[in-house]
Order: sequence, then C-alpha cells, then structure tokens
Amino acid sequence: MSFFRFLLLGLWACSFAARADVPDHQVYPAEGPQLLLWVASERGRAEPEVHAAQQLAAQGVETWSLDLVSAYFLPQLASSMDTVPAQEVADLLRAAQASGKRVVVYAVSRAAVPLLRAAAALEPAERQRLCVMLMYPNLYTVAEPLAEPDFLVVGSLAGLRVQVLQPRRSAATPWLPGLLDHLTQQGATAGHVILENLREGYWARETPTEFEIAESRRMDAMLLRELNNWGCK
Amino acid sequence: MKRWLGLCAMGLMLAGGAQAAGFEARSATPAPELKANDLKGAPKTLADYRGKVVLLNFWASWCPPCLREMPSMERLRQKMTGRPLAIVAIDSAEAEDEVNAFLSKMKLSFPILLDPDGSNTKRWKVFALPTTFLLDAEGRVRYVLTGPTEWDEGEALAVIESLLAETHAPPKQVESRRLTPQ
Repeated sequence: MSFFRFLLLGLWACSFAARADVPDHQVYPAEGPQLLLWVASERGRAEPEVHAAQQLAAQGVETWSLDLVSAYFLPQLASSMDTVPAQEVADLLRAAQASGKRVVVYAVSRAAVPLLRAAAALEPAERQRLCVMLMYPNLYTVAEPLAEPDFLVVGSLAGLRVQVLQPRRSAATPWLPGLLDHLTQQGATAGHVILENLREGYWARETPTEFEIAESRRMDAMLLRELNNWGCK
Repeated sequence: MKRWLGLCAMGLMLAGGAQAAGFEARSATPAPELKANDLKGAPKTLADYRGKVVLLNFWASWCPPCLREMPSMERLRQKMTGRPLAIVAIDSAEAEDEVNAFLSKMKLSFPILLDPDGSNTKRWKVFALPTTFLLDAEGRVRYVLTGPTEWDEGEALAVIESLLAETHAPPKQVESRRLTPQ
C-alpha cells in the first residue's frame, strides 16, 4: 500500500515538474473534441478576448488562454514576444495535444513569433497535427520605408497548416502575399482570409466603429466560422 | 561668416528637432515611381511636381493618426501659398468611395491621390500609416517620417523650410546645407 502511495506521490511530483515550465494560462474547460489555444498579442489579454474564450467553451470548444506578457512579466512591446522561451510554448502545445483533443492555435500579432518558433521546435508528427490561425501576424525583422521587408526565420515549419486572418484596414494588408510566401518557404501550408471593414486589434480600439464593437462581441462566432470554413482537422 | 553661422545653427536645430519629431534624414535617395490617379481620374506622377519641394503623405481613412494630422497639412498649405511646396496625400489601398466618404466630412484643398491596389504603397515600401516622405525640388527623398506630426509648426516646419531654402540656393550652398540631420 505504501508502495502505491509512494508511486502516486512520485507521479504527481513528475507531472508537476513537467508542467512547471509551461507558461501560466487560463483554462476554459469544455467537453467537445476541439481545443483552442488562444495566444494574446503583445498588448496582453483584452476583456473581449476573455468573453470570447468563455463563449467558445460554452459552445463545447475547450479554450486555453495564454497571455505571454502576463505569464513572463514582460513590457507590452512587440519585441517582448521575441524573448519568450519557445521551448516552454512548445511544451504547452504538447500538453494541449496530450489532452487528446484536436488542437488549433490562434495567435495574435507578434505572438505569432513565439508560437511559430514553438511549432518549429515540435517533432514533425506533432507539428502535422497542429492547425494554426494567425491574426495579422507580425513577423518582420525589418520594416522601414523605402527598404525591402525582411521576415523572421523561425525554423522549419514543414507540415504545419497556417491560416492568416488579416483585417482589411491594416497597413500590412498590401504585404500579405510576401508574408504568405515567407511561411510557405519555411515549409508551412499557408492560406488567408481577409476580414472586411476591420482594423488590427479591433476588439481593443480606443475609437472603435459600430461594426468593430459588434464584431468584438462575436469573436467566438468569427473564429468558429473561420475554423469551419478552413476545415483544418 | 554670419551666413555660415546661420547655416550651422539651422543644421543643429534640424538635427535635434528632426530627431525629436522622428524625422529620418536620407542622403538624397532617388524617389521611387509615383503613379496614381487623383479623385477626378487624372493620372499623376512626380513629374507633375517637378521644381517643388513635395510632402508626400501615405494615409487611410480608417487610420486615426492620419486624420489627426490632416488639419495641420491644410494649415501648412495655406501658410505656404505662393511658395514652391506641393502637398500630396495618397490614400493607401482603399476604394474610392471610402475616400470620398471621408472627404465629405473633412474639406481638404491639397491633392488627394488614390492607390486602390496598394501598388504605390508597395513601391515606396510603406509599412505603417501615416508615413510621409519629404522630397527636395530635384525629386529626391530627403526625409521620412513614420507617424503623425503637426506639419505647420516646430520641427516639421523647420525641415520643410530648410528644403525650400535650397530651392533658392546655388548648388555649392545646397551641399553645405546637407550637413543637416543624419
């Protein structure tokens, strides 16, 4: 009996140690077969994002909400995202996959950098099981007027399926083809959807339009719609 | 001697001021091609503004900082009446009706060009809005500003005045005035 108690204690300790380096995140549990890992932007997790995560869980999509700024005590800067340990994010991806659910990752803005680096750190078989949606991803290393854009090389993305959600009203929209080419060159299968009449970060704008306010309230529906239309399984 | 001291003082002021406002000096970079229609459908290129200092502003109607700086561009236009400065605002990657909807609310007298497919935006490598290029009278890019400013005052006005001053100066003096911000 004491042996089993010791064994259980050991297993608990191992599981704690294994999870110790997984970044802190909020879990909105659900019974459905799908798990959405939502990685907030360098601006941190906004209230409409929490609301959407709750709504997704209510509709059966388990949602893990990861705010890297908060988890690693980082300043709210794009460059902060570049300092996030990719291996720890990769461990979280593995933990999500270990749930047995179908995992979709959704990363916003510069959060695409640690997420893609983590995906590159996965084993090829793990990576192929992942679906990644990137909301206006910022992968620039250099973006200066009159100079060719340069995108970050994050490592091999072979087998990774990526769907970019790009608000139409963004200075990045004309540059989307170059970004998709870059993802493809790294091995990903990349597609995109243009979100009409929306700006980057429309759910957290100081002066949102009425349409943006309405869309902020139905981000869960937008994500489910885009997931279904994409059909990544 | 006094003239030299004046030029040096202006250079120093521009160096400090330009950095403070975020102006980035360029060493007379040849300008990319500009090829766009105005709101009446007339094609425009940089050749239409030859001999003038050009303030070329990339903007969009959905961009609050772009709209915030536009009244100051209109005031600058009024202030510069009769002087060789062309203010040109090119809307980035929007449909004409979206631009017209905005212009019905804000009356602007300087030329507005359209770039519905974003081809000019890409040629000029614009990654953020607003982005403004200041070209000298020879059509070379001399300053770039990413982000908004008040165009009719302070550093912005000083930079424009420095480029306007070159339009009257003989070539040798133009060289000396290039000792402005690096």
